[in-house]
Amino acid sequence: MPLKLFSEEKSSGAKHVIAIAAGKGGVGKSSVTVNLARALSRLGLTVGVMDTDIYGPSIRKMLPEDQLPQQKGNILIPAVSDGIKMISMAYFRKEHEAAAIRAPIANGIITQFIKSVEWGPLDFLLIDFPPGTGDVQLTLSQQANLSGAIMVTTPQEVAVMDVRKAMNLFEQVKVPFLGIIENMSYFQAPNSQERHYLFGKGGGERLARDYGVPFLGSIPIDPKICQCGDSGQSLFADGDMSPGAADFLKVANNVVSHAAAMKKASQDVLKEFELVWKQL
Amino acid sequence: METIMNNGKQPIFVRSIRQKDNYTFTIQWTDNKIVDYRLSELQKRCPCAKCVDENSGMRKNASVDNNVKAVKISNVGRYALRILYTSGCSTGIYDFDMLHKMGFE
Repeated sequence: MPLKLFSEEKSSGAKHVIAIAAGKGGVGKSSVTVNLARALSRLGLTVGVMDTDIYGPSIRKMLPEDQLPQQKGNILIPAVSDGIKMISMAYFRKEHEAAAIRAPIANGIITQFIKSVEWGPLDFLLIDFPPGTGDVQLTLSQQANLSGAIMVTTPQEVAVMDVRKAMNLFEQVKVPFLGIIENMSYFQAPNSQERHYLFGKGGGERLARDYGVPFLGSIPIDPKICQCGDSGQSLFADGDMSPGAADFLKVANNVVSHAAAMKKASQDVLKEFELVWKQL
Repeated sequence: METIMNNGKQPIFVRSIRQKDNYTFTIQWTDNKIVDYRLSELQKRCPCAKCVDENSGMRKNASVDNNVKAVKISNVGRYALRILYTSGCSTGIYDFDMLHKMGFE
């Protein structure tokens, strides 16, 4: 018969904490994070974004703040942009200033983002992972109470190969996969129905099949995504939905349903706990 | 939907963790296996750099107090435990697979 139960689960404020990762740069993780956040927000969900790329934070430009972050004692209140809460290293450095800092300092900043930001209640906290599979990625995997990871890839095999390495890291730390998003999947010229698969076809779907994880959707090369990112405007601002905006909404709906299924499947798993020893 | 990993095996997680007595704790795993862990046995296997020589892989701590206790035990992400022992050792990460396997020894 078990004795007194001392274990307790700490609450993290967000219903789903999702890593957006690729293991490599250039596949559009940050762009996918921002547009997925906007799409989830459009579905009526409360969303936070943590930009953990200390060396090249780009999300602030794509998601310009209506309200700057604030510090209250040891607590950081996140910035707000179009109702989306956001924290990034970009708020603490000048835009063109390089972050010449060593890994332990970068790790310390990430730990502060995890422990000190007061997100309030959120449906989704999206964590934009930096490229690579090093110190910062491990710290996030150990401390951020991740519910799952979304892997972003482009279709070509060279990109998929690097994404597999990052998936291996998540396997080692037992973070389940929410699914795969294939970015830059195809180009469709205006007034044409023909799709051009500039980087090959089906790399993301093959990856999802190989790992037995959901394929969440394809995002096309859409000039509107680029324009909106550069100007900090929402892809969903005007009523006339571009192909990229429509696909992001489909992906967001898939993310919502798979995240709910994943939460249900892990209901009886103790995710975060601290057992304080007592003298019996 | 199940949590699927590449090796096709269902990953093992902690369902509950309890202190059993002053020297032992009990984990119920998600495959319903219930295992008692004596802290002195775990400290003998501590994988931290203070306990294991990085180059030779040999153990540095020849003797472990059989009555060593814990101060606290907490999770490391979704894959491991960290134990703060009364002996001061605290940096070893015990992954769930290793702990689960110990239950079969």
